[in-house]
Amino acid sequence: MKPVECEFEAEVLAAVLQSRWPEHVDAGLRAHAAGCTICADVAAIAAAIDEDRAHMRADAILPDSGRMWWQAQMRARREAATAAGRPITAAQVIALACAMAFLGACFGATSSWFQSTLKQMGSAVAGIKIQALVPFAPKMAAGIVAGHTLLLLAMAGLVLLAPAAVYFAVLRD
Amino acid sequence: MFRETTINEIACSQARADAASSFVMDEDSFRAFYQRTARGLWAYLTRVTGDRELAQDLLQEAFYRFLRASAAYESEEHRRHSLYRIATNLACDARRRTLRHADAGLTGNEIERLPSTEDASSTERKADFARAMTRLKPRERAILWMAYAEGASHREIAEVLGLRAASLKPMLFRARRKLAGLLGRGPTGGQR
Repeated sequence: MKPVECEFEAEVLAAVLQSRWPEHVDAGLRAHAAGCTICADVAAIAAAIDEDRAHMRADAILPDSGRMWWQAQMRARREAATAAGRPITAAQVIALACAMAFLGACFGATSSWFQSTLKQMGSAVAGIKIQALVPFAPKMAAGIVAGHTLLLLAMAGLVLLAPAAVYFAVLRD
Repeated sequence: MFRETTINEIACSQARADAASSFVMDEDSFRAFYQRTARGLWAYLTRVTGDRELAQDLLQEAFYRFLRASAAYESEEHRRHSLYRIATNLACDARRRTLRHADAGLTGNEIERLPSTEDASSTERKADFARAMTRLKPRERAILWMAYAEGASHREIAEVLGLRAASLKPMLFRARRKLAGLLGRGPTGGQR
């Protein structure tokens, strides 16, 4: 198997990084590197990378550490606020849905008309005779409006206000 | 106009206060750490990605993620390697997003930005080196840079790059051979 490392590798690397390579090193090490592919590569690569590293470090234009800290703080706060607001927004939406469901349940429980209509609709749907429902539509609407005006107004208000409430909750985040 | 404080606002202000204290170090420690590591990290990211602007973006992101990481560091070295690991992962993600960076040659910008006061041979060497590096795979660039610019041990390189220490030696050997060849100091040097 072809060797992938040499025992003198570290010594050659140290000499290169300390700017001793090749003039100020032992002649034996130089002779070894001349015949060893690994050490020759290490000498060539390490010198090139070290030189490039020095140039790159000198050329680097970096943001100030204080600015980095301040930006990190701002971003952390923003992210924390968003994360904290997320469950609250979800809770508001759930609460709204519960309120709607409660109102719907009240409406269903208190309205005999609704219950009978529900039965009629059930039987109508079972028979798939949609045409049969059409003539009753105006009567149904009038019945609902007359018997449950307040409840309907409340539901309509909720339906209109809910998107606005969600919008403002999200906007605050 | 008087405005009531909502639950949302209370929770958010509490979260903002907590966010600042959740950093792994205080401002002075961070600034000192940044001064010690930022230039080296930027050079590493620039060589791995081959893109100076991207390297700067990744540098900022890496420091931010480092600050937010709730890890306890045993030493300065451990802390530095953790930062490099974050940066390496970010560079990999960036490369996946924009694969064109991986195959991009040396950009015109990079040559133009070289200081004009330097001598021609130095400028040429830098351009040659940068060009040779862009012809390596990003992982090879990272391995070589960590080994010879950062002086990291095999174990440390493996840790930073998420590799097995045992597989690093042959990888380092191949990357070194390849770069030596590209720089004209190896068997494939004449093929440039």
